[in-house]
Order: sequence, then C-alpha cells, then structure tokens
Amino acid sequence: MISLAGRDILHGWGKFVLTGVGLGLLIGVTLSMAGVYRGMIDDAQALLDNSGADLWVVQKDTLGPYAEPSSLNQDTERPIRAMAGVDRAAGVTYLTMQIAHEGKDVRVMVVGAEVAEPGEPGQPPHLIAGRRIVQGHYEAVADVKTGFAIGDEVMVRRNTYRIVGLTSRMVSSGGDPMLFLSLKDAQEAQFEKDSDAIVRQRARTASSPVLNPPGNPAVAEAVNAAQASSTNVNAVLVTVVPGADAEEVAATIRRWQRVTVYTRAQMEEILVEKMIANSARQIGMFLVILAIVSAAIVAFIIYSMTIAKIREIAVLKLIGTRNRTIAGMILQQALGLGLIGFAVGKIAATFWAPFFPKYVLLLPADSVRGFVAVMAICALASLLAIQAALKVDPAEAIGG
Amino acid sequence: MAEGIRIENLVKTYGSGDTAVHALRGVDMSVAKGEVVGLIGPSGSGKSTLLKCLGAVIEPTSGRMTIGDTVIYDDGWKVNDLRALRRDLIGFIFQAPYLIPFLDVTDNVALLPMLAGKSNTQARKEARDLLEALDVAHRAAAMPSQLSGGEQQRVSIARALVNRPPVILADEPTAPLDSVRALAVVDLLNTMAKQFETAIIVVTHDEKIIPTFRRLYNIRDGVTVEERASAPSGG
Ligand SMILES: Nc1ncnc2c1ncn2[C@@H]1O[C@H](COP(=O)(O)OP(=O)(O)OP(=O)(O)O)[C@@H](O)[C@H]1O
Ligand SMILES: [Mg+2]
Repeated sequence: MISLAGRDILHGWGKFVLTGVGLGLLIGVTLSMAGVYRGMIDDAQALLDNSGADLWVVQKDTLGPYAEPSSLNQDTERPIRAMAGVDRAAGVTYLTMQIAHEGKDVRVMVVGAEVAEPGEPGQPPHLIAGRRIVQGHYEAVADVKTGFAIGDEVMVRRNTYRIVGLTSRMVSSGGDPMLFLSLKDAQEAQFEKDSDAIVRQRARTASSPVLNPPGNPAVAEAVNAAQASSTNVNAVLVTVVPGADAEEVAATIRRWQRVTVYTRAQMEEILVEKMIANSARQIGMFLVILAIVSAAIVAFIIYSMTIAKIREIAVLKLIGTRNRTIAGMILQQALGLGLIGFAVGKIAATFWAPFFPKYVLLLPADSVRGFVAVMAICALASLLAIQAALKVDPAEAIGG
Repeated sequence: MAEGIRIENLVKTYGSGDTAVHALRGVDMSVAKGEVVGLIGPSGSGKSTLLKCLGAVIEPTSGRMTIGDTVIYDDGWKVNDLRALRRDLIGFIFQAPYLIPFLDVTDNVALLPMLAGKSNTQARKEARDLLEALDVAHRAAAMPSQLSGGEQQRVSIARALVNRPPVILADEPTAPLDSVRALAVVDLLNTMAKQFETAIIVVTHDEKIIPTFRRLYNIRDGVTVEERASAPSGG
C-alpha cells in the first residue's frame, strides 16, 4: 500500500511546507517562552551557586536580600564568624542601578563583597579574564554581559572604577549582569547621600546645640563623620565548615542574633517560588494561548485540505477504501505538519535564543515535551477533518 | 452466457408518508458477463437511484439483487462488508473521470489491487498491463491533470477493470467526449466486457451512442422497459 497522505503532501507541498513553517515559527516562540522560564530558574540558581554561601543572614523578618530590602549592621558578621560550625562569614551589598557606558545605559547589579582575602563568600567564584579586586578602592570586576572590557572605566555614582577582571553567568535573579566592587566602595555607592543632602545635614548638625555644643567643635565633626559613612550590609553570607549541618548552624545563629537566616533550599524557594512564580504563570498563560492558536491553525489547514478533497474521498470510499485508511491519511498529514512545524520551531528557537536580552535555556527535556505536545495537538486538531471525511457519502461520487 | 448481475422487482422509496418519493417501483434487469447494456430514461426517472442501488451505496427498499451466484440483496443486505463488495465485485466509471489528483496514472489504477491487499509491485504490474491494453501505457507516469479528457477516461476505465469485477457501472461515461471519442469508448467497453467477462451497465443520455447498444433498458417512472432485445445491426 502506498502512503496516500505522503502523496497528497508531495502533490501540494508548497502550501503544506509554508503552513508548516508558519506553525514552526509559532512553535519556536513557544519553545523560547519555555526557555525564558528555564533561564530565569537557571539565573536564580546561578545567583545562589555563585554567591558561594551556605546560609544567608538577613534583616529580621524579611525575605532579603534578593526578594526584599534587607539591612544589617556589618558588625553582625563578627559574632557569627565565631560560632560553632561557621567557616566564613562576610557582609555583602546588592544594588541594582543604571550605569552610563559609552553613551548607553547598562543596567547592572552592583555587588559589594569583602576583598581582603580571596574566597570570601560574595566574591565571584571564577574569573574568565583579568584578576580579582586587590585594592580596597576603585577597582571592579564585571560580568561579560555588561559589555565592559578590562581596562574600561565606569562611573558608579560619583566615583570612577577600573574594570580589572571579567566573570560570566554572574547575574541577578532578574537577569541583570553583576558589577563587583569592594564592600566599602559599594557601601559608599549604596548608602551615600548626595552633596546637597550632606550640606543640609551638616547645617542641621551645626545649628543643634546638642550635637554642636559651643566650645567643642570635635563633637560636631564626629557626628558628621558618623552620619556620612555607612557600615550597613544587605546580608551576611555564611559558609559552614565541611561536615557541619547547615540547618543546625542556622538554628544557632537564630538563637543568638536578632536576624533571619535562610538555608540554600529556603533561599531557592524564595527566588523560584515567590519571585519567579508570577513570571512563570505569565509564561504558562502564553504557552496555553500559543497551544490553542497552533491547534486552531492545524485544525483549520487540515480541515480545509480535507474539504478540498471531499470528492476524491467520496471516490475512494466508493471504490472500497476503508474509513481507517482515510482517517489515517488525514491524521498522518496533521502529524506531518506537526513534524515540519516542530523541526522549524526547534531550529528557529535555537537560532534566535542568543539574541534574547534574557538568558534562554533550551532544555532537551522541554524539547521532548514540546514535541509530544505538538503531536498531540496535531492529532487532536485533525479530529474535525476526520469527522468531516467520515461523513462523506460514497453515493456523492455517483451524483444525481 | 453466464449471468453477471440480475435484479428482480427492485423498489426504492425515498422518505415515507406524504413526502415519499417512489424512485424505483419494481425494476427487473439482467446483464450477462461479457455484455454491455444501455440504460436510458428521462430526467428524474430513477437512473441514478438504480445505479446507486446496484453500486451498493444506498439501500433498496425491497427486491432482490445477485451478482453471479452471490445474493447481494434480498429484502435486506446479504453481505456484511459493502466496501469490500464494491472493491471486489463492482467497477465504477463516472461522467468525469474522478481520478485521484495526487496519484500518478499507474497508482490511480494500482490503488484498487493495493486496497485489496496486493503488493505494490504486483498491483503496479496489473495496472500497467491494463494501461497497455487501453493504449495509455505511455502516460503511466503522468499525473491526471496532465492528461487529455479521453486519456483520463481510459485511465478511469482501467481503474474500473483492474480488480476484474464481474460488474461495471458506468454513469454517463461519454458525456464530455466528442462523437468519435464517445464511440471509441463504447467500442472499448465492448472489447473489455468480452475480454474480462464483465457485465457492463452504461447509464446515458448520449444520442451518439444509444444506437450502438445491442440491448437497451428504458426506465420510466421507476419501471424498466426492455426496448431492444437484439442488436441494432449485424448482430
Ligand atoms: N436523496 C433523495 N431523496 C429524495 N428523493 C430523491 C433523492 N434522490 C433522488 N430523488 C428523487 O428520486 C427520483 C429519481 O431520481 P434520480 O436521481 O434517480 O433520477 P435520474 O434518472 O438520475 O435523473 P437525471 O437524468 O436528471 O439525473 C426523482 O424524483 C428525484 O427527485
Ligand atoms: Mg441522474
């Protein structure tokens, strides 16, 4: 037996292939949407992995530092470091901001990490070029996605920083590339007031008899210095000694400090289930709509291809073709359309993924799921046409 | 001659009650193997209805129908699988050739033996032999849309013959053809009927070919009258 579906497709392949390509672009969009979602999860995981922390110590009762603002005194880290099971503890700051660079605004997450010695939590774990920050001031390490190069000078607030090293895949949970500064520099950038505010603050200090007691100018100076500098951090990242149970160490910290402590698993839950959940639902909606649109397209094209063949189908039935054979022909055509569509979609999604501003992660498992879904949708969409074909009366071939 | 198809007192009523249409009121007809008979009648007389009953695509209301020794219908279908019946026992030729546009000439003909379960090679061989006999073998690889009207009609005759059915039903097979070609088609049907021992019934309005039938049934108001019992000339 020959393949009636295949012959029909070959006979009118132009229309068929064009429809398949159109469907394929739609499938490509669908795969990319799934890829964007996977990318978001991967970004979140990269953020947690690259922070190098086992525990996140944040302001009491907040979901900080990524999902909510959190502010802690930097001094919190010292007693933590002394606790049993704690290997290292280091304050970090996170601040998302726009940086002007070569006439363009680049959105980055400025990360302040302690630079005194290598390997402190919060520092970028590996560099793809250059070196780590060694001077306390005015050096920065940037993620390649910022577009910065080694030797570039970038302005953060009022100071200029020289890029000394590059990292990759260091992004915020929102996908913004990171710019690492020393903790002190970052604190200055984050908590520093602008000049006007400082002038006004100084004037208020000077006019207060309590803060500026007559005959003792040293008091006002000390107050000004205390007000200008900040020793706050957004979180203290903690690593535990090998073999120690992170959960137990977290419990110890909670007992002694007025802070909230998250383990890696809890942090992942906050990022993935709280922050990404909405985007995931959004993407889920898109996937549903795209699936419906694809189904409608396949159904329409297969239906119209079948209606155009009604007389041939009547003749086929008259000369003894089984319903099974005719239904099979239509089903095969729908699946063929799905096959072309999926191939085109997969190629398109792979091709355009790098051009997306956000990280698009195309998982093979998602492709398999997508393929199964496309085939199921096509099979479903062919039912309408099959029903129409089965209703055709072989007597129509004889006519009146 | 051996009997091809016989119908006795065949009745077909469309609908029922006040709106009932008595399309066939008791038709008798018998065609031997190797014989070609004409079926004529005015519009609305029941020709298409009779053809559909013979072709087992609509169910008669009552009567009896046999092909060879097989009882097809006797106040009810006597065969379970009407599709297999049509595939194996009845060939169809239409006014328009109704070839399958996406199959080439060979496969249009070979499709029937394939549907009957023959291998592609065997089916194509049988198709090519018939195309040879019908003088269209040189167009075997062409698509139907590339053929002339006469060639298409010959391919559709090959398709009707390929499963060697004992009966062929032809519905206005010469309507789109000029008189030379129309007569050629009738000649061809006569030759094929003898060669393949097939009973052929030709429904027609075509004045050009009516005189050529040795036997002619005229159907009026749902009843057949045998108008011509012997050959018009020389037979
Ligand atoms: N499906 C149907 N339902 C009801 N009545 C029908 C149906 N098909 C045919 N008829 C009626 O049966 C009668 C015979 O119709 P039929 O089509 O067999 O005539 P015909 O001889 O083929 O005519 P023509 O030469 O015009 O094709 C007509 O009165 C027609 O209106
Ligand atoms: Mg008619």
